[in-house]
Amino acid sequence: MINRAQYSPGPASGAQVRKDGEKWTLILVRELRHSPEKVWQALTDPAHLREWAPFDADGNLGTVGATVKLTTVGAPAPHVTETTVTRADAPEMLEYKWGGFDMRWKLEALGGGTRLTLWTNIGHRFIAMGAAGWHICFDVLDHLLGGTPMGRIVGPEAMKFGAWQRLNAEYARQFGIESPNWPPKPAQE
Amino acid sequence: MKIKVTSVYVDDQDKALRFYTEVLGFAKKTDFSQGPYRWLTVASPEEPDGTELQLALNNNPAAKAYQQALFQQSQPAAMFFTDDVQADYERMKARGAEFTMPPKDVTGSKIAMLKDTCGNVIQVTQLMRW
Repeated sequence: MINRAQYSPGPASGAQVRKDGEKWTLILVRELRHSPEKVWQALTDPAHLREWAPFDADGNLGTVGATVKLTTVGAPAPHVTETTVTRADAPEMLEYKWGGFDMRWKLEALGGGTRLTLWTNIGHRFIAMGAAGWHICFDVLDHLLGGTPMGRIVGPEAMKFGAWQRLNAEYARQFGIESPNWPPKPAQE
Repeated sequence: MKIKVTSVYVDDQDKALRFYTEVLGFAKKTDFSQGPYRWLTVASPEEPDGTELQLALNNNPAAKAYQQALFQQSQPAAMFFTDDVQADYERMKARGAEFTMPPKDVTGSKIAMLKDTCGNVIQVTQLMRW
């Protein structure tokens, strides 16, 4: 927790959205200075996930067929969903579901590091918020793997963080969509 | 302390939003997500700042069993008040609502029951005046 106060995320980058019919997919790419093996462990091991991810896992996600309960951190009501890992080719491809979201991770060796790509479907109204949230999560992940953990910044922790609001607005601009402001206002319809 | 929100479990939040707005006539109030969790409420246009109804995704096996048992017994999962149950019955029927009980006089009120298309029976109640 040494440098959380100084943490300031960079500008929105590395994200795309894709629309297939009614289904929107958020695609995030991040280059990390750590090997695919280290990144794989951080993506699958519950003790690592607890340090950076927006959910807790009650088991390891690194085995095909494993059934794991994921708890969304900071949701306004307890939100626990069960998933079965559908693909786990260490340290390259990982697929499972987080609630109704498909989660597909790809890890590519890049120099001494890893190019990490996440495909996840998410409602288009919240896609910029999702991109902002994952942006911060990936920064936290990078620090964790670099040996300077900040502690995870998710849910309400992320939203009260000014940089999250800036990222939300930047991603919304990049995607050409309107994103809800925080705090939420009653929907106008 | 106030009663500001109450919940029904639904099997599909988008479908529920369509039914509770287009068929029942409520208005969307709050729609917010965190990860796959979605907080979705509607309110009555007659009382926009009144009690909200949360349309909560039922992904909880215990809640599903409870919901199905209530549904099979035709026990309403939620109850709404109106000044004219017959008029609401006609209006909702015209929009495709499936009633399990057309307007009926019971002690102290006239009630009707319909399916919400999302796993529940709901009741519309008109209190008798005398």
